[in-house]
Parts: sequence; structure tokens; C-alpha cells
Amino acid sequence: MATSTLALWVLLVVFLGAFLAQVATRVRLIAAGAGSFSFDHPAFRIKRFIVDVLLQRQTIRERPAAGAAHALVFWGFVAFAGYTAVEFAYGLGIVDLTHSAAFQMYRVALVPFATAALAGILFLLGRRVGVRPVGLGATVSMESVVIALFIATLMATFLLGFSLDERTFAGRVNWWTHMLVILAFLALIPASKHFHLVLSPVTVLLKSPELGRVENLDFDREQVGLEAIKDLGKKTVLDAFTCVECGRCQVNCPAWGVGKELNPKALILQTKDALLAGRRDAKLGGIYSEKVLWQCTTCGACENQCPVGIEHVPLVIGARRGLVSNGDAPAYLGGVYNNLERRRNIWGLGYGQRQKFIEAAGLETFDPATHEWLVWLGCAGAFEADYQKSLRALFDILRARGLTFGVLEKEACNGDPAKRTGNEYMFQELANQNIEALRAGRVKKILTSCPHCLKTLGNDYRRFGYDAEVVHSSVLVASLMRDVQPGDAPRTPITAVTFHDPCYLGRYAGHVDEPRELLVRFGADIREPVRNRDNPFCCGAGGGLLFADKEEEPGSRISDVRFKQLQDTGASTVVTACPFCSIMLKGAQASWPPSAGPRSAAAALGSPGAQADTQFVDLMTFVRDRL
Amino acid sequence: MILVVAEQRGGKLNRATWETIAAAQELCRVGSLDPAITIVVPGSNVGAVASEVAAARVQNVVVIDHQALDAYTPDGYAAALEPLIASLSPSHVLLPHTYQTRDFAPALAARLDRALVTDVTGIKAVSGEIAFVRPMFQGKLTADVVAQGPAPQVITFQIGALRADQAARGDAPAPIETFAVEIDRSAIREKPEPPFQEAKQSVDLSQAERIVAVGRGIKGQEHLPVAQRLAAALGAELAASRPICDAGWLPMDRQVGSSGQTVAPKLYLALGISGAIQHLVGMKGSSTIAAINKDPDAPIFDVADYGIVGDLFEIVPALVEALKE
Repeated sequence: MATSTLALWVLLVVFLGAFLAQVATRVRLIAAGAGSFSFDHPAFRIKRFIVDVLLQRQTIRERPAAGAAHALVFWGFVAFAGYTAVEFAYGLGIVDLTHSAAFQMYRVALVPFATAALAGILFLLGRRVGVRPVGLGATVSMESVVIALFIATLMATFLLGFSLDERTFAGRVNWWTHMLVILAFLALIPASKHFHLVLSPVTVLLKSPELGRVENLDFDREQVGLEAIKDLGKKTVLDAFTCVECGRCQVNCPAWGVGKELNPKALILQTKDALLAGRRDAKLGGIYSEKVLWQCTTCGACENQCPVGIEHVPLVIGARRGLVSNGDAPAYLGGVYNNLERRRNIWGLGYGQRQKFIEAAGLETFDPATHEWLVWLGCAGAFEADYQKSLRALFDILRARGLTFGVLEKEACNGDPAKRTGNEYMFQELANQNIEALRAGRVKKILTSCPHCLKTLGNDYRRFGYDAEVVHSSVLVASLMRDVQPGDAPRTPITAVTFHDPCYLGRYAGHVDEPRELLVRFGADIREPVRNRDNPFCCGAGGGLLFADKEEEPGSRISDVRFKQLQDTGASTVVTACPFCSIMLKGAQASWPPSAGPRSAAAALGSPGAQADTQFVDLMTFVRDRL
Repeated sequence: MILVVAEQRGGKLNRATWETIAAAQELCRVGSLDPAITIVVPGSNVGAVASEVAAARVQNVVVIDHQALDAYTPDGYAAALEPLIASLSPSHVLLPHTYQTRDFAPALAARLDRALVTDVTGIKAVSGEIAFVRPMFQGKLTADVVAQGPAPQVITFQIGALRADQAARGDAPAPIETFAVEIDRSAIREKPEPPFQEAKQSVDLSQAERIVAVGRGIKGQEHLPVAQRLAAALGAELAASRPICDAGWLPMDRQVGSSGQTVAPKLYLALGISGAIQHLVGMKGSSTIAAINKDPDAPIFDVADYGIVGDLFEIVPALVEALKE
């Protein structure tokens, strides 16, 4: 055996050994995670794998330049797999295919890939060191610089190989450099964020097909939620090791965006550190800080923008469950839970008010013999005056189109605030009560104007085996209006409107086109705000934070920042499609400008009086008024 | 006989004591017991409290006056009450279910080795025995509890379960006696500190009988005196909705609503408040709600008992004038 062959064998054993030892530690930690992986909806998962991993859509769509550069590097790596294998087989003296005609053709075909990857990695290196995007962290990661230089070296040595004779000394040095960099790279991968090379294809495949999937707790098995590191599920542990630290979750997080402590990326990295440190019994409230866990609106931006398949929402809600089970919910939720417990609605009001609305709006009790649709009123429909106006608009539209509908005699809150704040027991109690009523009423089709009801009834209730069709009003009304021409003269002339996508409609349910279709049909000139469609900036109400007003400083409220973004479109009409968005944004308007307050943290937000002209209109009212 | 334990702090009677007196009278009626009721007032310098409760239709009032009872401690109270109960041998010892009672009543019952029934909302006769009604499972169920074992039974009554104004007053003040006790100070393990006062919440709107609240309709800080004059004329506290406090026109501790205080005054007068639900949930418990707002569609009118659609800057000064007359 030639000395060089022996040397490569020795180096391979050492570096591959280092790689495998580190991988084994992580695989053991993943295997020790609670529960099991799920692989439901395989067709959807495989399609997402092709689009998001192979075609790099998720990497490119938010950051086109950096994403495209990454795609070039990624495709380069994929293209090089065969080349690397052949060169190692040759170097290790197993088989020499390097002189085959096919390999020579393959090598030539790799030139554009190598050139592209080299350009891509140099661009990314320049961006990291020169531009220093905030999502990548405060300091330049030296490890990433080394890895980038490694990749550049790999590509450069490959390209140099064409002009150097492999039998010369320079040619040998070039070949060895290439092989040594591959080996060093291998040993560096598992402990770095570049482990995503290995894990992210798996993590993307294992990511839930449904955004923010939070499985029910099984009380018979005494499940209480996530209390300590050892309670984390296998997927969450896998997520922690997959994180590529790109910071998409961070820069899209509304809480982080307004200057709160919560940073979804930090949650994942803190999980990873705790796992590697063997802190299995460490309480999650101590790992993340409880305060941070209660700042999440569950808007889902982090999870939805993550390019490597990490699921943040189940981690946050799981940790909240652990806190709630131990009586550690924040004080403002105590009042909400009491309201849900005693009055079965979030406001703690008497249901007589709902009855008054039902009578005033001329609603009938649902009867499957005469009604096609059950309209779910929800907490807002039962008690909130503005939302009731928009529901009346919906009823007018349904009646005008000859649809039949009724309401349940009694409703309880669907349980969204309980589910999202981790009070699973309360959620299941409310869900079971409602499902019983819906089944007794033989309801097949549910219509709601509230995106939170949509997610909870249409999604979370399926886990109880309840499978009625649940539709948001914007979707049904858009389909009803496809053959309708709007009235000649709109009653209120509209010059420009902006549409605030509710997180639970645009991001969770993906209904971004139907509201716009309605707006355009009825004469709106849509001015899109920053953060729109399936990546809106939250209003601040989700995840129980509708009630956390006291915790927020005026000026750093999420609702204030969103209101400003909507104002910046220049449109004087803001169309909403969610009662909670409406409450939050109107609240921000009423308190505008936040800079007037003595506690303001964001005096730069705007000038006084600018808000005066802004009108809020619910989508249903907008349509009804222009029929 | 029945012993009622009065609660006072710093020589000021806790009103819930009257509810407990009413409970004692109710217990005599339901159980056909000998209507001999004794009220005990433990504390230091509590003569005024004793005179106040002596107005009740009871047999007598007993004062346990001791320096060691100046500040409340569970050990001190249990040590003071135990010999009195031993000497009077009452059939029942009744207390208001206050935080203080929650603290020492279990210890007292344990020292006496007698039954304790807490948070009682009603008294019933069940097949010849006295049953105490108490909520269970966060009020989802109520249980009729018949206490077992020898007298006395220690019973605590939920605040508001009985009405203070239904406690029968006597024709003449009941005689006040004193009961001397020896309290070993060194046996009191607790070292009380001054009661905690939340510094920020200097205004406790939840205790106000009348509230005048201003909203966005007040337009500017310079117009606040309009509302202040009305509040002064009514003897009311001034409160506000979120935008007013956000703007710094009034301090945060005057904010009513889901992000402020929850209030339940006898009269809530809303000036220029539209009535967003976040505000309504903080004042819905008010006995009478009156609203002045320009917008006839304002949601505040849905919850208001009386409403005026109009300009508050015209109406409020006129109201102040009318009140002065």
C-alpha cells in the first residue's frame, strides 16, 4: 500500500471517527426525547421536501439574494456527492474510476456548479462579515467564516485541478488540500450550525404539516406539559440540533421586533445548550425565563419562516402548559381563566347579552332540517359591539344570496385562549362541551368570521374526532360573490385601503387571496403594508396577550407598531377580518400617538393627529356596504 | 350558645363581622337553638369596636384586650380564643371567612380538636340536623355538610353569603364584658411587619362608591377640570379609559378596564367613553351606569342604564350647576 493511501486511511478513520462520535451524542439525545416522531400526510411532506429542500423555496423566498446564494452552494454540494465519493475511493485505493470517460464528463459538468457555489459562498461570506445582518447575531461567527473559507477552498481546488497535472507536486498538494478540507469539514460539522447539512432534510420531512400543531395532553396518562428539558419531545430535540442560526425566526418575531426579550432563535439555542450540558432536570422556566415564554403571541411567524423545519410554537405552548400545571401563569390570565371557568367566555360577561344580540339580529336556532350553515358567534360575536356589526353585515350577505343559517342556542368559548396559553385542561373542557352541543345539533358546516375560531374548531377539534367543515366568512363570501357585480355606486367611495392579514387567517389557514379578491371586486385599491399575506405582523392579541395590556409599555406595544405599519401605506381605510385584530388596532389608534405618554419607549413612532382619518372596517361590512 | 369572633384591624371593624352576626342569628332560627349569642372582640384598644357590635341583638359582647394582640398573629389569636371557648363552651364558633380567619381558624380548630367547616354560604336543616352549605370544585357543586363530633363546631362564612344589613339590632346595646387572658409572648412565633401597601396603586378605585370616568371625548388634558368639577360635586373618584392614561393626562392608577382596575361602584358616569369591550369588562359590575357621548351608536349605551347623546362640554357644566342647587 502506498504511503499516501495509508495516510488517507488513517486520516479518514480519525476524522470520520470524530464526526461519528459527535453525531452519536446528538442521536442519543434525540432518541432519549419524549414521545415519537409522526409522519402523517406523507404526500404533503414529500412535496414540501422537494420544494423547500431540493428547490430551496423556503430559503430563497424571504431573502432572495442570500437564499439564491445558499441554493447555489447547496446544489453544488449535492452535485459534488458523486465526485467526492469517487475521489475517496481512488485515494483509499479501493477502486480508481477517476480515469474513466464518464467521470471526466461528470467533472466537466461540475465546473458550472463549482463556479456557482464559489460565487455563492463568497457572497455569503461578504454578507456575514461586511453587511452583518442582525439576524445572524451581534458578533461575526468565526466558525462560519472558517466553514465558508473551507467551502471556497473546496471549489477553488476543484477548479484548479483542471490546470494542474495531478502527477506534479503542485497537483498533489492541490488534491490533498481538497481531501483534507473535506475531512476537517466533516469533523467540524456536528458541533456547529452546519450540522443542518445532515439534519435539516430529516427535520423538514418530520415537521408537522400543520402550522402550530400542539397535540392534546392525555390526562389519563398524567401528562402535564413540558416542565423540564427531559420532557422535550424527540422532534424538539432534533430541532435544537438542526438550527442553522439564520435568524429568520428572530427578525419576523413581533415580540422581538418591538424590543421585548423574546427571541425564538435564542429559545432553540438555549435548548441545544441545555441538552448538550446534560441538564435533563433543568426547569424550562429557568432555561428560557418565564417572562419570555409569556411574550409569544403564537403568531407562528418563527415556525413558518424557518427554512430547516423547526417548530417553535409547540415548544412555547408546551412550556406554558408546564408552568400553568404548576400554577405559574401570569396574574392577568387568572382573571381570564376565572371568566372561562365561571362564565364560559373570555370577558366574564353574562350570556344574556348574546341572547339579546341573537334576537336583535333575527337569528334562528340551528336546525339541520332547515339550515345549511351554523354560524359560530364566538366570544366576540356574543359580546363585542363592533364585531356584532360586522356579523350583521355577514348575515345580510348570506340572506341576500339565499343561504340558510342558524346559531347554537348555547355556545362556550371555543377554548383558543386556553389552548394557546397552556391551560389544556380548560381547553379540553370547553372543547368537549362545544363538540357535544355541535353533535347534538347535527351540525355539518360551520361558518365563522373569527380566524381563531377557524383554527380551533376546524383544526384543534379534529383531535377529538370532530370533523365538521369549518369555513371562514371571507372564503365563503368570496365564493358567493364570484358571479356578482357590485352595485353601481359604492355608498362610501374608497380611494385606497390596506388589508391587515390576521395571523390565524393568512399564516395559519393560508387564506390570503380570498379577502383580496373581495376587496378588489368591490372597488378597493389595495395598498399592501410591510409584512402581508402569509407573513403578517401580528396585532399583538394572540396567545392570550389580548389580556396582557398591563404588561406592555405604550409605544412598545405590538399593536402600536402594526398600526404604524398600516398607516404608512397611506391608505385611510384599514380592513380587518378578525375581531381581535380589530380590538387591538383600534386600541392603538385610540391611544395614538404613543409618544405622548410619559412611559413611551418609541417616541419616533409618529406624529400626533396622523391617525385621525384612519377608518377601520371589517371585511364583511366592506362588502355588504358595496353590494 | 353561639360565639361570634369579630374581626378588626387597628381598631376598625371588618364589616364582614356583621354578616357573621347575621349568620349566628340565622343559625339560631334554622337550628331552633337557644338564641344566646356572644360576640368576642380580640385585640388591643378595641373598645370602640366592641361598642359598635354591641348594637346587635346579642346576649353580650366580650372583649379580650391584650397588648400581645395589637398586631394580628395566628399564635396570639389562637392562644387568646382557646381559654374563652373553654370557659363558655359554645355549641358553635362562627367567623367571617376572611384571609385572617383562613390563617388561624384551622389552627384554633386543631387545638380544640373540633370540626371546622369553611367558606359556608348557607344553613339548612337536614333531617333534624344542621347542615352547612359550602361550594366545592370551584363552585360547580355545593355540599351540605353535617359536622360530626362534640361541640363546639368552628364555622366560617363566605363574605357576602349573608347580608350585613340583615343582622338584627337590639333594642338596647348589649352589655360589654372583658375576659382576661394570659398570653405568653414568647410562644408567639410570628413576627408581624407593617401591612404591605402596594405603593403604585395609590388610588383604590375598587372601593369607590361613585366614579366619574373620562375617555377620548375629553379631547385634551386642559379639559380635565370639567370632569374634576363634576367628580367633586358628586363626591366621586375620577377615572379614565386607556388612551387618557397612555397619554399621561391622568396617572395609570386611575385607569379602568382590562388593562387597569376593575370597579363596581354604585354610580359609574362615563364621559366621552365609547365603550370598547376592554373598558366595559372593567366596569360592567357597576350598579348604575350613566353615559354621555356624542355618538349615538357608541357601545357604552348598550350597557348604560341612563344615556345622554350630546356634547359633554355642554352637559357636564350644567350638571355641576344642578348638583350645586
